[in-house]
Amino acid sequence: MNCIEAGALLGARADGELDPAQARAVDGHLATCVRCRAAAQSLEALARAVALACPAQPAPARLRAAVRSSLRAVDGDRGTHRVPTGWLAAAPGLAALLVAAWILVAQPWSVPPPAGTRVVYHLAAAESVDAALRTLRNHLEATPEAKVVVVAHNNGIEFLLHGAADASGRPYAELVRELRGRGVEFRVCGNTLARRSIDAGKVISEANMVASGIAEISRLQAREGYTYLRL
Amino acid sequence: MRNAAERDRFERLMLPHLDAAFGLARCLLRNDALAEDAVQEAYLRAYRYFDRMRGADGRPWLLKIVRNACYELLERERLPGTAEHFDEDVHSSAAAGAVLVLPLNPEAAAIARADADLVRACMARLPHEFREVLRLREVDGCSYKEIAAVVAVPIGTVMSRLARARRMLQSVIGQRVRGKQTGT
Repeated sequence: MNCIEAGALLGARADGELDPAQARAVDGHLATCVRCRAAAQSLEALARAVALACPAQPAPARLRAAVRSSLRAVDGDRGTHRVPTGWLAAAPGLAALLVAAWILVAQPWSVPPPAGTRVVYHLAAAESVDAALRTLRNHLEATPEAKVVVVAHNNGIEFLLHGAADASGRPYAELVRELRGRGVEFRVCGNTLARRSIDAGKVISEANMVASGIAEISRLQAREGYTYLRL
Repeated sequence: MRNAAERDRFERLMLPHLDAAFGLARCLLRNDALAEDAVQEAYLRAYRYFDRMRGADGRPWLLKIVRNACYELLERERLPGTAEHFDEDVHSSAAAGAVLVLPLNPEAAAIARADADLVRACMARLPHEFREVLRLREVDGCSYKEIAAVVAVPIGTVMSRLARARRMLQSVIGQRVRGKQTGT
């Protein structure tokens, strides 16, 4: 084995990915070649440096809780369709029939056909709020019957806090109230509030809080046939 | 459509990988808040498609979904891939054979002197596709086969991409350490 061949395998050797025959051949070369030995040492030093610089860190407990609660949120509205499990165990035939009937009636795997347009606006950045609200008003001019839910998270939540005003000094609360009057709903991500240590009391009363903005958006799309719009 | 027992099973199999998922997302997005969003979105997606996991090993399957969510988020947020465009010709001391032509090992010495902050900063300068394979290998201890499954490339590509990532990182660290020494 020469330096070129050995060099190409040094990484895999350090990673323990060589088969025994290859490993023996590379080791044989390293025993005789001081340069390739140095290169192998460099790789080992690099691996140590990267592992030291990027220790495996635990994810925040908050994230674990958010993931678990969002799984429950997407499962949430199926409680009413739940097949009684006791019957399932007692009478498999009847249970199968019930399941079949439930699938036919509830169509749990399909998205319900939306009555009119349903749109979820995803607001994640402060600078896009004004444009989004403008778009939203035009949207409602064009299709007044559209059902719109605005889900705000990350830096998109500011305008739903008490005292927030647009560039002209007009309080956003006024605008939000007007849009509420036209059927638009505003939902604020609870995870964002927690992450930024914003008290829930700072959110204007026209907006509602949901556990997780992301989960809410997923739920609206998957379970209620909403179309997703990010602005 | 899942009942509580299925959800329990999903959580039992998938939540143990939360740390690796968050680590990969942070590595790619370099922003904790976005990383949390990506992970949450990925778990919801994984939950929806849990049936498709079948006999697959849970960790690479989940990490692949996390990775996809991160790339979508990068695209959507128009985040830059790296702090600067990485031109390998500029950054690496020599092309393909750099590792081989080293005189008795200044790179290893430089790397040994590099502190953790510097290594992290240098890693952040690698393009995503190189940063992610390094992380999966050195931090999460993934095998080439697992990395291939996460990144969706053949094992041979994993090997060459890792080699190139290491060359890039060695050369950037070497430059930084030498720059510090000469006060530039």
